Amino acid sequence: MNEQSLRLTVGAKPGNLAVIRQALAGYAEAIGFGPDSVADLKTIVTEACMNAVVHAYSDDAPGPIEVGARPHGDGIEVTVRDWGSGFKPRPADPDDPGLRLGLPLIGTLSDGFEIRGGPDGTEVRMVMELAPEGRPAPEEERADPEATKGTVMSIAAGTMVRPVLARVISALAARADFSIDRLSDTVLIGDAVSAHDAADFRNGTVGIEIVDDNGRLDVRVGPLVPGGSERIIKGLELPGGTSLRKLASEINVEQASAGSGAPAEYLLVAIDQ
Amino acid sequence: MGPGEIATERADPGVTVITFSGEHDLNTAPDLRERLTIAIGERTPIVVDFSGAAFIDSSILGAVLDARRSAQDAGLGFAVALYEGAQPVARVLEVTGLDSTLPVHQTRAAAIEAAQGSPSEK
Repeated sequence: MNEQSLRLTVGAKPGNLAVIRQALAGYAEAIGFGPDSVADLKTIVTEACMNAVVHAYSDDAPGPIEVGARPHGDGIEVTVRDWGSGFKPRPADPDDPGLRLGLPLIGTLSDGFEIRGGPDGTEVRMVMELAPEGRPAPEEERADPEATKGTVMSIAAGTMVRPVLARVISALAARADFSIDRLSDTVLIGDAVSAHDAADFRNGTVGIEIVDDNGRLDVRVGPLVPGGSERIIKGLELPGGTSLRKLASEINVEQASAGSGAPAEYLLVAIDQ
Repeated sequence: MGPGEIATERADPGVTVITFSGEHDLNTAPDLRERLTIAIGERTPIVVDFSGAAFIDSSILGAVLDARRSAQDAGLGFAVALYEGAQPVARVLEVTGLDSTLPVHQTRAAAIEAAQGSPSEK
């Protein structure tokens, strides 16, 4: 994964628009975007994703949206991808003025956009200038289009992780109706993962999958190198007696193999309301 | 950051004021549409006050434009309020040109007055 890139996969549902928006806002802030540019970015990302939520899939066959962000010139390139039946800038209901405003908003607030569509889905690519020195990046491989259960993220290990993860976790915990105390516990766990040594993550990429369901967050961190889970757990043992084992409702380590067949493991943390 | 909330208030005399906190998108648009439909059913002038909203998208604007048309058809006053300085929302209204077509009033009091005074404010 390219340095400083972000990839987020969620189910194409209205309730996930806020999660996507927060992740991108955290990413843009970390890159150096100011409040006005972050606000514009939130708008164009929401509009592009809304199209996928409304048009890509039928109710009985839901699917995912994948949102990618990476530095591009002096700004950010954002891609929104679905595997549905195509971009329809003209809505099924021609009297719905809301959807007709979406494309003009993207066109006006972005510094360039293109839509590529076909029978196997649609990709909207948008560029926003600004921010300090960015760097061009190579093509990325795509996420598993089947993944729709929760929020799936991969972020290059480093300073990007904390701002993105903190916002995503807060949005999901708020949606799951967590109390303020549990919300801060959850953010603490996110911080521990963010601060963890990049060497424990395979390929230097922090992979996180969060399923929020019935007042519970199931967080899966990995792939990690063997022993990485234990080191993350140890990293949260503070002098005051706080530890991941106390904050989480359940902790497990899952043994698996990374893509190359090398041994790997995942840290599974469940947090209840 | 919590999910956005929408509330319906009744201002004197008999004006429905719809207020927002937090961020609003396709997820809360159905709630807004329902509140607007109820207000039109009750035949009160309507004020949509965006001052507390941190974010709105085109589905929210769509709901407001639909309600405005229904209100006009029903001969009911309809006005939008947004305090100066509510930047993200002002930006979306400006870019879509809705700041002048709605039009947008800078105080709730001015919007209420406009909604009461002009059943078909364009």
